[in-house]
Amino acid sequence: MNPTREDGLRTLQESSELAAEIRIELTERYVRLIEAVEALPENQAGADKSGRWRGGRSYWRFFEGARRIPRAE
Amino acid sequence: MTHPFAALARELAARSVRYLLIGVSGANLYAPAGQAVFTTEDFDLFLPPDPDNLIAAWSACEAAGLDLFSGREPLDQPRDLWLAERVVERRAQTRASGPEGLAVDLTLVMKGYDFPAVWREHRRFEIEGAEIAVARLLHIVTSKHATGRDKDRLFLATHREALEQLLRRDE
Repeated sequence: MNPTREDGLRTLQESSELAAEIRIELTERYVRLIEAVEALPENQAGADKSGRWRGGRSYWRFFEGARRIPRAE
Repeated sequence: MTHPFAALARELAARSVRYLLIGVSGANLYAPAGQAVFTTEDFDLFLPPDPDNLIAAWSACEAAGLDLFSGREPLDQPRDLWLAERVVERRAQTRASGPEGLAVDLTLVMKGYDFPAVWREHRRFEIEGAEIAVARLLHIVTSKHATGRDKDRLFLATHREALEQLLRRDE
């Protein structure tokens, strides 16, 4: 079954409602997780981060190539 | 593939601009290898309320081939001290945009923090040989928590889960 524009809008609305319900507390555990990540060797001063962006860029590039295809009636 | 921020980082460094990369782009730089990064094309730069520094940041953006905007309109000319002082007074945001969808927000506000507090604990990383100043991950996350928009809450929920998985993997 092909998704319709209404399906897309409904999904967006559901995401928006979900986001409004989310309450993230900065718990001690969350802060500890963050500090653990900050302490990783690859996150010390002078670390080379050139590669951290390429995955996301590839993701965007994939969708940049997308084209709308008229649906067959 | 050249990192979109590298050219601007070099121009910012050449002018000794004080800035901190914050937001999702900043948080992504802390993501351990193998962990998914959050998709964004925007780079948020937190600047001190210093008109001269702001002028230098605008100059760096222009030298990197970016166009400057205030809202939807091109930023007024001349981009001088008078204009920078008005922007700083209002804590207004300017946006630089360039080729391939690069968008850089120059913000004078980071919810929950002032510039010196974040600057004191920032990290310096490198992208393609260019040094970049990045806010602490803890500061980025707590600022997003304080801001509390829908997209911030979604980010926090996903980010915390990603870190939980990381810790479980390492335990």
